Amino acid sequence: MTVQTWQAFVIALWVALVESRVLFGGATTTLRFTPMMTGMVAGLVLGNLSKAMMIVAAIQLIYMGVFSPGGQMPSEPAIAAAVAVPVALLGGLKPAAAVAVAVPVGLLGAYLYQFRLFLNTFVVHLTDKYAEKLNDRGLTLSIIWIPVLVGFALFLPFMFVTLKFGVPVISAFVKSNSGTLIFHILTVIGGGLASIGIALTVYVIGKKNYIPFFLLAYFMTVMFTKLNITMVTYAIIGSILAFIYVLGKNEAAKLAAKNNNSSDDEF
Amino acid sequence: MDKEISTQKPVAKGAPEKVTNRDIFRAWIRFYFADEIPHSFDRYIAPALMWALMPILRKLYKDEDQLKAAYKRHLLFFNTQISWGGGVLTGIMASLEQTRAQETYENKELTITDDLIYNTKAGLMGALAGIGDSIDSGTVQYIFIAIALPWAQQGSAIGAIFPFVAFSVYQVLIGWYFARTGFKLGRKAATDIVGGSQMQGIIEGLSILGLFMMGILAANYVKVTSSLQWTLSGKKFELQEILNTVLPGLLPLVVVGGVYFYFVKRGLKVTRALIGLTVILGVLAAIGIL
Repeated sequence: MTVQTWQAFVIALWVALVESRVLFGGATTTLRFTPMMTGMVAGLVLGNLSKAMMIVAAIQLIYMGVFSPGGQMPSEPAIAAAVAVPVALLGGLKPAAAVAVAVPVGLLGAYLYQFRLFLNTFVVHLTDKYAEKLNDRGLTLSIIWIPVLVGFALFLPFMFVTLKFGVPVISAFVKSNSGTLIFHILTVIGGGLASIGIALTVYVIGKKNYIPFFLLAYFMTVMFTKLNITMVTYAIIGSILAFIYVLGKNEAAKLAAKNNNSSDDEF
Repeated sequence: MDKEISTQKPVAKGAPEKVTNRDIFRAWIRFYFADEIPHSFDRYIAPALMWALMPILRKLYKDEDQLKAAYKRHLLFFNTQISWGGGVLTGIMASLEQTRAQETYENKELTITDDLIYNTKAGLMGALAGIGDSIDSGTVQYIFIAIALPWAQQGSAIGAIFPFVAFSVYQVLIGWYFARTGFKLGRKAATDIVGGSQMQGIIEGLSILGLFMMGILAANYVKVTSSLQWTLSGKKFELQEILNTVLPGLLPLVVVGGVYFYFVKRGLKVTRALIGLTVILGVLAAIGIL
């Protein structure tokens, strides 16, 4: 039960690319908010892609709805996945139990990210200096490349050490305790924590009046479990419902406007 | 000093060059790339916007002091969401700077003052970020993820690749649209984009779809079942079985609802909810109720 040096290095490199925000720039927004791509990379590197995808799907659920209002995030899903997926693969954990490993790691990762912002605060002074001198090359250096370097210096060693030396210990511990009460507790926690992300998304969407749509979908799914309706089908049904609702609302508004001052159509 | 000027009226050197759609596209892509790379606690992502506008500012201000002032203007505190906030404001800032550069060059009285530029930015960045966060990151992204989750659960890499690619392409495209609109309409753009009735319809539709998908996910993936069982006068009872005969899916819904009302009452305290729920579930599991 070991992680090869090159494996630890490649996963750590991926995390550094994501967390320093340099991998396709803004595309890292979604790489940071969701653990999926990181889980996939970990699976590829460790040679068990399909198991890794199943594990990271469970981890994704607790991070539904995670985004960073104002740039601060309570948790770093990518870092969580980079550690929890290898632990689960090596320790033979069930996906739901892997979630319980992911949570504390994700919280820790958030502090690391905050530290990046703290370090960047010093780099800004350099930017001011280059702006004063109208030095465009210097500005690119201080706005892009130095912060990227800072990110690498922070995340690459941390992730490498965690993966190379931490992961084998955690997975050995987890494995020796499988089948015990702790394992049952971890699985229960993992299964229930998915509710956080979903509740968060419902809250963020922020339309209380539309919650019946949530309940409708919920009970439809519970009732129709045996029919194996695909997610895409559900998405289409949801789109149609949304369309009908908006259509009806607009028609009503138009009608009301007409009654008020029989003016011309809006379009 | 620059070939492009020769096509215009024979003006003295130092006239601002015309800002083209290509420049706007370039500025937007530069913003999209830089975004949160220089993120810091005191200026947030101001350097990213400045870096994005750099080529445009170079075209507009041929006077060194003017250019210096322009660079500094865009290094003041700035924070927003990438596509709605970043897109719209990249466009609006380019439009304002273009007008200002022309006014400066013609020695007119400045209508586009430093204050106006900064207040426009500061006034819009929060509002646009709020909308952008809840629509893009909060809704559109999770609709893509919800669609792809079953593929991931079957062990397919498409489950990860599809939402990543789809969401990134979506953000680049709408950000570009917003940047163009922002440049074309200037300060008026924000109200046009956010206040238009068509956009309101789209936002409402997306909210409904988002909530609908969350309902599906909650039913499929929140796993809370009771393992409590007891024997009463020789007969074995299982709580979960009883619950299933009344209302299947009750427990997961109670948990999701509980967390939701926690957020409603206490605000977005995600870490606390996470830790609290972990403890509650852990204890209930340890004493054999779950």
